[in-house]
Amino acid sequence: MKPFALFKKDYHSELRTRYAINSLAMFIIVALSVILFSIGNEKVPQNLTGGLLWVVIFFSAMSGLSRAFVSEEDRGTTLLLQLIAKPSTIFNGKLLFNLILVFLMNIVITLLYSALFEEFIIRNIILFLSTFFLANIGLAVASTIIAAIISKAGAKGTLYPVLSFPILLPLILISVMLTSYSMLGTSFDQALVEIMVLVCYDIIMLTASYMLFDFIWKD
Amino acid sequence: MVWKIFLFLLLAFVSVAGISFPIVENPQTWYQFPLIPGLEENAKIIFFHVPTAWLTVIGFLISTIYSIKYLRKKNLDDDTKSYVAAQLGLIFCILATVTGAVWAKFAWGSYWSWDPRQTSIFALMLIYGAWFALRSSIESEEKKAALSAVYSILAFVTVPFFVFIMPRIMDGLHPGSADDKFTPSGGPVVNFKMNSNMLLIFFLSLIAFTILFYWMWNIGYRSLLIKEKLNKKIIRG
Amino acid sequence: MEGFYNFLISNAIFIVMIIVLIVWIGIFTFLYNLDKRLKGIEKEIKGDKHEK
Repeated sequence: MKPFALFKKDYHSELRTRYAINSLAMFIIVALSVILFSIGNEKVPQNLTGGLLWVVIFFSAMSGLSRAFVSEEDRGTTLLLQLIAKPSTIFNGKLLFNLILVFLMNIVITLLYSALFEEFIIRNIILFLSTFFLANIGLAVASTIIAAIISKAGAKGTLYPVLSFPILLPLILISVMLTSYSMLGTSFDQALVEIMVLVCYDIIMLTASYMLFDFIWKD
Repeated sequence: MVWKIFLFLLLAFVSVAGISFPIVENPQTWYQFPLIPGLEENAKIIFFHVPTAWLTVIGFLISTIYSIKYLRKKNLDDDTKSYVAAQLGLIFCILATVTGAVWAKFAWGSYWSWDPRQTSIFALMLIYGAWFALRSSIESEEKKAALSAVYSILAFVTVPFFVFIMPRIMDGLHPGSADDKFTPSGGPVVNFKMNSNMLLIFFLSLIAFTILFYWMWNIGYRSLLIKEKLNKKIIRG
Repeated sequence: MEGFYNFLISNAIFIVMIIVLIVWIGIFTFLYNLDKRLKGIEKEIKGDKHEK
């Protein structure tokens, strides 16, 4: 139950300041309006909208998700956490918090996006939902472990997207492919290989993160 | 000593064979290469371009192996070895990208076309760049070694996606892609239209470049280890 | 000699081959000397330790 207690602590401190939620919400609005301004009255090709969705998701994630560990380092509470809990417990708690944040964020982005872009029509809902679900898990896991690395390094803000992008690139490429498939209405069986690649990515990232988190957290 | 002369002769032979052996339609003798439709003389790039891409991955592999070793034993010498391997890997990564782009202009018509393998070499370059950025942002030696080791392992587990999975499920121009006419179902890269002597020289070239990489890496980390030793001596007085 | 010269003029690829070979000989000699120099320095540092 300890990870859950850590999650509750993060949840309450988030509710008190609302820093991550507010900045994320503003970032989503800013990013979407920049895209809308730059498009103007042009007609956007259909497969471009699928790619732009993941651009918005990636940069929103980069703006808000590093808070999980950086906030602990800022408040100087890292040492206390090291004393009272095992590394795996801490990782579980932070991962849970980031997972919920990612899901909230991406649901809002997708709903706003489909309301604002007429060309963004999903023809195979099940394929899109499974892509969405798997990609969110991968995004949360990778961003949590990189947030942990960042919190221990010197330059905190600027390095986060630089470090995350190469790690997240396979996930983003496959998700863009699967999104365009689901917009074309490809059946689930035809896209099974890509879905399996996404599942593999999630599993590999999760195991690697659990194995490596000890080394980041200990020193 | 013997292996250095062996390396010299091997790479000399590969450059002689790779550059000057003629390409003919029906190879008769052992020194003639088969004609690959659409590529002609351009096909000879395989002896010099593919080894650089191969060394990019090898450099990353060695860097990760020594990262794991560092995390186990906490010996800073292992971190130096991993650093030098990554440095060489980055150099060969840039070489592979540039030679590939120049060649692609004449064989495929444009310098860059986001072919899956071009994407993956670009991703490798980004990983190397991010790795060096992370290292430069940390002051303390132990922390730098530990965090960069963790990052290189984390990045290494994504490399199979770039090197093996993406090029096979996406459409591309390289041999072995999903829509390749010569090797349906996306087989391994090497069995496209090469005859046995071309394959032999290709593998000799891979071996020669790997030995060259080992030698450069060896010299690199030995000089860095000496530098660290001298630094320690000066501090101790 | 004249025949060889004419052969090179009509087959430019062999000139490329000779140039690549010369470059490779240069790189090899450089690496070889660097290796030898490093060995010398390594020996010197070890010698210092024994004196102490």
